Amino acid sequence: MDCDTAKSKLFPYVDGELATELRDQVEAHLARCGACRRLVDFEVAFRETYVDRLRPDPAPERVREQVATLLPDLVHGQRAGRTQRWLKRLALGVGAALLVAIGLSAGVALQSHLGTRTTLAELTDAAVEQHQKLVRDLLPPDIKDVSPKAAEEWFRKRLAFNVSLPDLKTEGLRLLGGRISHLREVEVAALEYQVDGNNVSLFIIPEEAYRQLRLKDKPRFKVVSHRGYDVVIWRSQGAGYTLVSEIGDRACLVCHAPHEKLEPLPRPSAHL
Amino acid sequence: MDRGSEFQDLVPKYLNSLYNYALVLTRRAEDAEDLLQESLVRAYDGLHTFDRSLSFKPWIFTIMRNVQIDRQRRRRRQPSERPLRDEEEAEPVVSMENPLCSIPLAPEDILVRRETVERVREAIRHLPPVLREIVELRDIEGLSYRDIATIVSRPVGTVMSRLYRGRNLLRTYLVEPAQRPGENRIGVRNDGL
Repeated sequence: MDCDTAKSKLFPYVDGELATELRDQVEAHLARCGACRRLVDFEVAFRETYVDRLRPDPAPERVREQVATLLPDLVHGQRAGRTQRWLKRLALGVGAALLVAIGLSAGVALQSHLGTRTTLAELTDAAVEQHQKLVRDLLPPDIKDVSPKAAEEWFRKRLAFNVSLPDLKTEGLRLLGGRISHLREVEVAALEYQVDGNNVSLFIIPEEAYRQLRLKDKPRFKVVSHRGYDVVIWRSQGAGYTLVSEIGDRACLVCHAPHEKLEPLPRPSAHL
Repeated sequence: MDRGSEFQDLVPKYLNSLYNYALVLTRRAEDAEDLLQESLVRAYDGLHTFDRSLSFKPWIFTIMRNVQIDRQRRRRRQPSERPLRDEEEAEPVVSMENPLCSIPLAPEDILVRRETVERVREAIRHLPPVLREIVELRDIEGLSYRDIATIVSRPVGTVMSRLYRGRNLLRTYLVEPAQRPGENRIGVRNDGL
C-alpha cells in the first residue's frame, strides 16, 4: 500500500470501519511510514480533543414536558387524532372562557392579592428545579471552562436581551459553565458557579419577563426561601437576575467582591 | 417488559438525540418539535416491527427521516426548506477514487489553535445540510457507516464520501477564519497532508 492509498483510508481506519484485511494493510503501511503514522496520531488527537466531547443539542425543557405528556397517552391508548384534540381544546377553551366570565369580579380581586406571589412562586420553583438539575449534571452545559466575558459574548449572540456578567477574580469563586435554559417557558441564560465549593446557579431573564412578576422596586433584592434553597431576585442593566444557592449571603460573591460593603440581604420575604 | 414500558424507557434515554436530529432535518425549532412528536407516534405504532437484536436509535432515526420526507411532500415547498430528496439530487459528485479528493485535511492546525469544543459544534451547525446530517450522525451520535446508510437510504460509499467532504469542510471553517461558514468551497491543502 502506498501513502496516497493509506491516506485515503484514514477516516474509515480511525473510525474502525475498515474490513480486517484492509485494516491490516493500513497498519503494515503505518508501521514503516512515519509521515502517515503522524497523520493518524493527529487524527486520533483531534477525535479525543473535540469529537469525543461533542454532544447532541439538548432538548428544551418544554419539549421534555411535551414528550412526558405524550408517552403515557400513546402507551395507554388515549391518543386522539389531531382534529379530535383541536375540538377538545376548543371545548375546553369555551368552557374556560365561560368560567372566566362568571368569576371575573371575584377573580380580579383575588388576582390583585395573589397574582404577584403566584408568579414569583412559579419562577422560584422553576429556578430551584433547574438549579438541582444543573448540579446533578442532568442539564449539560453548552459552554464550560470559559471566562465570564467569553460566556457573556456567547449568550449575547444567542439571546435577544442583555446578558451582563461580572468579571470577578475572587478566590473561592469559579464559573463552571453555562447553557441556554428555560424557566416557565422563558428562555434564560443559566450559569453555574462554585463559591467555596458550593454550587450556585445564576439565571438571567429578559427584563420583560421580570416586569411581569410585578415586583415592587423596594427592597431591591427580594429573597425567597424555597425547598431549602435561598433564592435572590433583582433587576439590573436591562435584565432580571435569579440566584439560587444553599449558602445565603455568601452566594452574592458571584456578583460582588468580598471586600465590597454590601447591605445585608433582607430576610426571606416568603417560605414557598 | 411490555411494549409500552419499553418505549417509555427508551425514548427519554434518546430524547436529546431525537430532538437534535429533528433540528438537523427541519432546521427550525418549532418544526423540530412537531416532527419529534409525529415520529414518536409513528414509531410507537410500528414498534412491533422493531428488531430487538438491533439498536433502537438508528431504527427510530430512520422513521423520523421518513416522517420528515412525508411532511415535506404534504406541504408546499418553502424557500428555506428544500426537500431532502432535492438537496441530495443537487449534491455534487465527488469520486472517492480521486486521490487528491480522498486525502483528509490534517487537524494539526486546529489542535495548535486550541479551539473550543463549542466552536467545533457551531461550525458543524453551519455545514451544508446534506453534509451536516452525516457528520452529526457519525461524530455526534456515533452511528456506524452501515447504520447511517440505512437511515439516509444511500449506499455506504455515499456516506463515506459525504463524511469525508463534511469533515474536510468543517476543518476548512476552523482553520480559515476568512472563510465564513455557509460558503461551500472545500479547501485541499497543497502539501498533500
